[in-house]
Amino acid sequence: MFKNLKHEILETNTGWLVVATMFAISIGGLVEISPLFFIKDTLEDVPGVRPYTPLESRGRDIYLREGCYTCHSQMVRPFRDEQLRYGHYSLAAESKYDHPFQWGSKRTGPDLARVGGKYSNEWHVQHLLRPKSVVPESVMPNYPWLLTTPLDVSDVGARMRALRTTGVPYSANQEEYRRNVEKFGEQVARTLHIPDAQKNLVAQAQDGNYDGDRSSVSEMDALVAYLQVLGTMVDFSKIKPEDLVKYR
Amino acid sequence: MSTSVAAASEQYDYDIIKKFSVMAIVWAVVGMSVGVYIASELAWPFLNFDSPYISFGRFRPVHTSAVIFGFGGSALFATSYYVVQRTCQARLWAPGLATFTFWGWQAIIVLAAVSYVLGYSQGREYAEMEWPIDILIELVWVSYLAVFVGTIMQRKQPHIYVANWFYLGFILATALLHTFNNIAVPVDLFSMKSYSLFSGTQDAMTQWWYGHNSVGFFLTAAFLGMMYYFVPKHAGRPVYSYRLSIVHFWALCFMYMWVGTHHLHWTALPDWASTLGATFSIMLLLPSWGGMINGIMTLSGAWDKLRTDPIMRFMIVALSFYGMSTFEGPLMSLKDVNALSHYTDWTVGHVHSGALGWVAMISFGSLYHMVPRLWKTEMYSIRLINAHFWLATIGVLLYITAMWISGITQGLMWRAFDDFGNLQYSFIESVEAMHPFYAMRAIGGMFFLTGMCLMAINVYVTIRRGVRAATVDRVVVAAA
Amino acid sequence: MQWLADPANSKPLGLLILFVTFCLIVLWVYGGKKRGRRLEEHKNIPFLDDDDMKDKPNG
Repeated sequence: MFKNLKHEILETNTGWLVVATMFAISIGGLVEISPLFFIKDTLEDVPGVRPYTPLESRGRDIYLREGCYTCHSQMVRPFRDEQLRYGHYSLAAESKYDHPFQWGSKRTGPDLARVGGKYSNEWHVQHLLRPKSVVPESVMPNYPWLLTTPLDVSDVGARMRALRTTGVPYSANQEEYRRNVEKFGEQVARTLHIPDAQKNLVAQAQDGNYDGDRSSVSEMDALVAYLQVLGTMVDFSKIKPEDLVKYR
Repeated sequence: MSTSVAAASEQYDYDIIKKFSVMAIVWAVVGMSVGVYIASELAWPFLNFDSPYISFGRFRPVHTSAVIFGFGGSALFATSYYVVQRTCQARLWAPGLATFTFWGWQAIIVLAAVSYVLGYSQGREYAEMEWPIDILIELVWVSYLAVFVGTIMQRKQPHIYVANWFYLGFILATALLHTFNNIAVPVDLFSMKSYSLFSGTQDAMTQWWYGHNSVGFFLTAAFLGMMYYFVPKHAGRPVYSYRLSIVHFWALCFMYMWVGTHHLHWTALPDWASTLGATFSIMLLLPSWGGMINGIMTLSGAWDKLRTDPIMRFMIVALSFYGMSTFEGPLMSLKDVNALSHYTDWTVGHVHSGALGWVAMISFGSLYHMVPRLWKTEMYSIRLINAHFWLATIGVLLYITAMWISGITQGLMWRAFDDFGNLQYSFIESVEAMHPFYAMRAIGGMFFLTGMCLMAINVYVTIRRGVRAATVDRVVVAAA
Repeated sequence: MQWLADPANSKPLGLLILFVTFCLIVLWVYGGKKRGRRLEEHKNIPFLDDDDMKDKPNG
């Protein structure tokens, strides 16, 4: 039956070998990746999840820059010990605006998916400056430069526009703004408006007073603002257990 | 020297291979030094010195890129150009393009390392390079594919030898993975910063599809290509079963691409995807072990050489580690094992038993075989090779033993409950418990690095002798 | 199409197809003495190039 179908065609013809190899290596990726872009349950909307504010987003940039993901995960798994240690297990929707995702692969330090609100701003500042001063056994490096480096806010608008291109609903015009008001409410929608990005960023830094110095916006402000929002967007007390199955 | 020497050097383009071989060794020394340094940072954190440039988070990608792409990549360029020419009995197609792949690839590694310490990172493991570097990689890679396929098309043999299939599979898969995992939107044309097009779950899936297949194709298939040429060649015996190598190739190509999701067990990724990944991971054991057995059986009958030939020893130990880590991998992809092992040092140990034990060892063996042939001389010192072998073996064993103990300890401590149903340990207690093992790991790394330095010295002296002899030859010929 | 979209159907079907393909490859490779001999001949390719130095045990 497959007498004419000769492997020699592959062995002796570079072109066919390339084609056959491409075929063999493509199937796995196609089957596993493409459904994620169509299946609804990976994209389920969960109330409360919103894009990051300009300040939080810049904090996330710093989180990436310092390579925090090399030691900290952001993915709580559905086990009893993790529930006790970190909180409710992570939902897919909670990282839907994360470009790129930061689930991580290693916990040299603890998971950070729900670190927001667990410690005070002062604790975070102290901890980032000198981790050993609050956790004597820590092996985390000191990050003194975060407090002394002013945050570069000049391109925050451009950064948000790039994120908008990837699909994050930051608003660039009034029509998009109105859509955000409908979806997230006015208070949140205002923080997502690109033309006001710089103004919003400075305002949040001063209101939040993350690094304890209102006179200027440091990288510390941004990073702490980001850490404090992690895992706090979804209010799990308001979610019915039967819905959780759907969100997961 | 005989006339065949002149003929061989005319027949094949060795210049490019020499360049890549030297750089493979240079990057190995650099990358492993950085590795030892960051391992020491975890054991003795003061080594971060409050400096942004060498703090662990920024320095770790320098280590991974330098060893995987610098050392591994250069070794693969070198050996693939060597193997493809010799098994096709044809000179490299488009030597100019091949030279571009050399300078392009070296520039990529340097730019990547510099950009990481300055804080430019995509934040995706093993794909931290920002978008301008990604574009350069794409250019170099397409040129590499062109040179490789072009050379195969000029072959004098009707049949394409199986080692070349593995190299080809690696080149094609890497092109595919690199392209799709690095689709990002730059902030603007003059900004190094970009944001990944995908987010959350899709991004995780794409990244680990890339991440694991970099292991599967960059660090496995390609080095199997190396194995299928250098092991038979060095043993002086043809490969045990050619038919097995064909099945090995197709099964490996097909199956590897499915297994990436085992990095995402118990996460927000849909369950079916991670189950599928686990299933294929288990099935992958068969082709992996098929390949390992093929390699080991090739060496059987040449066992006597093991006593005298440290190069052969590198190869057999590499194959053993290949078998060991391709057994450990499927084990760790089981959901229940993964629940314990994931996020712990066990994973780090597993990666290194593959990377140091298999990838580095088979590269050392191949380079030791190839270097004297490239420079037409003999290795300066067999005793140094022997010392290198023992340092490397002890280093790997120390490393993975430390990581096994620390990984399993971490996993168990995190999930331990006391009699009242509360967590028994705080997180920081698990960190504290790791200290001796982190120190032991750093020491294992130092052993491995020391062996690597011996190799660098040995190869350096060998090359210098080869170059001198060649000059003398030329003078003699000119005088006659 | 609808029938295929149901994972309860597509999964075993996919498994079946893949398994059959795998069996075909194995049968093809190992079936047939002549084909076997021809394939095994290729393993000598690395030794066909005129080596500039006779393979000494010293690398």
